[in-house]
Amino acid sequence: MQHEVFANTEDFGGPDIVAGPGRICRPGMDPPYANYSLGKPYDEMFTRDGKPRLSYAALDSRLSTLQLDELNRRQQACEQSFLHQGITFTVYSDNRATERIIPTDLLPRIVTAREWDRIERGLTQRIHALNLFLRDIYNDGRVLKDGVLPRSMIYGSKHYRREMRGLPVPHGAYVNICGSDLIRTETGEFVVLEDNLRVPSGVSYMLANRDVARRAFPAVFRSMGVRPIEHYPLELLATLRSLTPFHEDVSIAVLTPGVYNSAYFEHAFLARQMGVELVEGRDLLVNDNVVYTRTTSGLKRIDVIYRRIDDDFVDPLIFRDDSALGVPGLFNAYRAGNVMIANALGTGVADDKAVYAYVPRLIRYYLAEEPILENVETYLCREPKSLAHVLANLDKLVVKAVGESGGYGMLVGPHASQKEREDFAEKVKSDPENYIAQPTIQLSTAPTFVGNGIEARHVDLRPFILHGAETTLVPGALTRVALKRGSLVVNSSQGGGSKDTWVLSQ
Amino acid sequence: MLSRVADSLYWMSRYIERAEHTARLIAVKLDSMVEQTPEDASASWARVIAALTGEKVVPLSHMDAFAITRALAFDRENENSLITSLALARDNARQVREALSNEVWENLNRLYLRMAPVTMDSIWVHTPARLFREALEEMHALEGVTYSTLSHGEGWYFLELGRHIERVQQLGRLLDIHFAAAESENGPKYFDWLVLLKFCTAFEPYTKRYTASIRPQKIAEFLLFDTEFPHSICFSVDRMTDALARVAPGAPPARRAAVERLAGRLKAAVDFGQVDELMSGGVAAFIADITKQCEQIHKALYSAYITYGAETVL
Repeated sequence: MQHEVFANTEDFGGPDIVAGPGRICRPGMDPPYANYSLGKPYDEMFTRDGKPRLSYAALDSRLSTLQLDELNRRQQACEQSFLHQGITFTVYSDNRATERIIPTDLLPRIVTAREWDRIERGLTQRIHALNLFLRDIYNDGRVLKDGVLPRSMIYGSKHYRREMRGLPVPHGAYVNICGSDLIRTETGEFVVLEDNLRVPSGVSYMLANRDVARRAFPAVFRSMGVRPIEHYPLELLATLRSLTPFHEDVSIAVLTPGVYNSAYFEHAFLARQMGVELVEGRDLLVNDNVVYTRTTSGLKRIDVIYRRIDDDFVDPLIFRDDSALGVPGLFNAYRAGNVMIANALGTGVADDKAVYAYVPRLIRYYLAEEPILENVETYLCREPKSLAHVLANLDKLVVKAVGESGGYGMLVGPHASQKEREDFAEKVKSDPENYIAQPTIQLSTAPTFVGNGIEARHVDLRPFILHGAETTLVPGALTRVALKRGSLVVNSSQGGGSKDTWVLSQ
Repeated sequence: MLSRVADSLYWMSRYIERAEHTARLIAVKLDSMVEQTPEDASASWARVIAALTGEKVVPLSHMDAFAITRALAFDRENENSLITSLALARDNARQVREALSNEVWENLNRLYLRMAPVTMDSIWVHTPARLFREALEEMHALEGVTYSTLSHGEGWYFLELGRHIERVQQLGRLLDIHFAAAESENGPKYFDWLVLLKFCTAFEPYTKRYTASIRPQKIAEFLLFDTEFPHSICFSVDRMTDALARVAPGAPPARRAAVERLAGRLKAAVDFGQVDELMSGGVAAFIADITKQCEQIHKALYSAYITYGAETVL
């Protein structure tokens, strides 16, 4: 096994410096990996026979020599830093509001240059196809006429916005900011689990995690050629600017629901990093189809809005009239072309579970290319062959209602009782169009620091794609990690955390 | 600058100033009470409570320092307590993260997170004043960090406005209570006048100016009219008028005029005030007038730059 020899070790500090090969530590046997279990899922760090992969060798060498106390100290320093920066969300219980940090794990997740190349090409291809698809269904509806997708799936979707029909969108870019969730199959292939085309969040954690991991492992970081991600806010700014013809002299604002929103830190962070105004609905007003902010010196025109509120709340005159977050008249100003909104309204129609299943076909249809990144295998119960397969294999599949999210209207076959499966089968048979099924998904595992050692935890990967005049992926991602042993739930509301993602330059 | 941002900066700064004033009064009082008779200490506590809450307080024969400190410092139900002021300052700061430097936010956030879990029992066993002195040090650091990491543009001047309007009000109330009590039977004694100077971080600057001879009239003159000492009414009014001239640079002249007229009037009142005219009861009337003018400026500031109707500018 090849170990890194660090030319420069001054950053390490403390007595635990070992230049040259460290001990050989085997997962499941030697500390700090004594409780590291390798199972069926793909492991990011170790091969099946327990050897560290080449991309992890430097990190492994460092970990095998680092005292757990020292790791604990660094972990605490990092949590302290998050708390002080205010990277927190609020939990309400017993009438008391407690602030918690979003848990972060020190150990980076490493993605090789070759893997990233495929992800980058795959997601670029995917966002092109999805934007062409959105332009199509809000204009001619060619894809529906050609029978690639059933009409009812689009026109019946609660995320389809009739108000957007025929409205030109700059560069045909409906989705300007996309965060797609990728997972690794048992064979190590990255596949797409979900596209987030509405208001994806998490990019500020990607950047905050980088600060933390770089400080925790400075020499390893330096020795590995990790690609930088710090220019994300600049790229975002360029993307937003490209939406208007005035490029330079353009006034941009980030529209937030306000300080009580769980992603408020991110909204403020992005506004600060881009050097643009952070506004709430109450700061904006529309007159004669022009959007203004109210400033101390008077009204100031706004040209581009990066909105972090859902379609439904953007404009109470057009969408939900009980929304206090949005701006009355905003949609008409948008329709008049006086303000650009990113993402465009109505993008949610393209990221629901049923349309997801069609994305590979959409790529072939619009681009005449084979998808570079596959979907998780998905059976559409509306197709008779798939329906038969699903009903015959209910004990092996996860069945989901397409219109629901957050685990509602869902059957996890292997964990359900015979009776539950039979009941669910009836539901599916009576309304097959409403259901899809997928095999039980295994997420890959990655080394995660748990206090008294390093164990394997399940992770996913959310890269962020920017799409305006050009398409840009900053070489990094949010790696979400299920901190509970064995858990597959990476959501921060349910015990998930995150960690830095190192994309290597070669 | 967004009107909402100006509003939050202004209030953030007012609450920090209020917190600092509260912490200083408590720290000085806890330190000084040991040198007083129970009666004098009680009368003095009553003045501190009145100064911080704006309520009339009749001194009891034995005031419970533990309970008073708890109420003034840590009672979240008390809208004037130290912890409430810090929490509100931080809430306002959080609303305008993008208008503050990282250093300003982190200093304020750290201070709040440090004070939030503190219990009376944990500080009372040792030197209770120490915690408040440390809080003061951190607030001074915050002030320095604000000065040196934030651009001295419009936002900074809204911070200045908040700080000095609040300071005039707090200082005014504190002086008012002391000078009103001067006439009464259990009024401030020599030691209380000394403590008053310490409440305003004014002891040393005062002695440099007037020697250690502590006389109420000189104290009034110093804290009302000194042009160089940062905790005098005159100094704060100076800063306020300066800041008012610099905010909302693009606002139409008509809207600016209303605010600047009021500021000019206040400045004249302070610049031409004479302490000999104020003794024997005149301090109260003078302070009442200054406080009222500050309230008018606050209202004019809001209607000119923050809550103005959009229809008036379209």
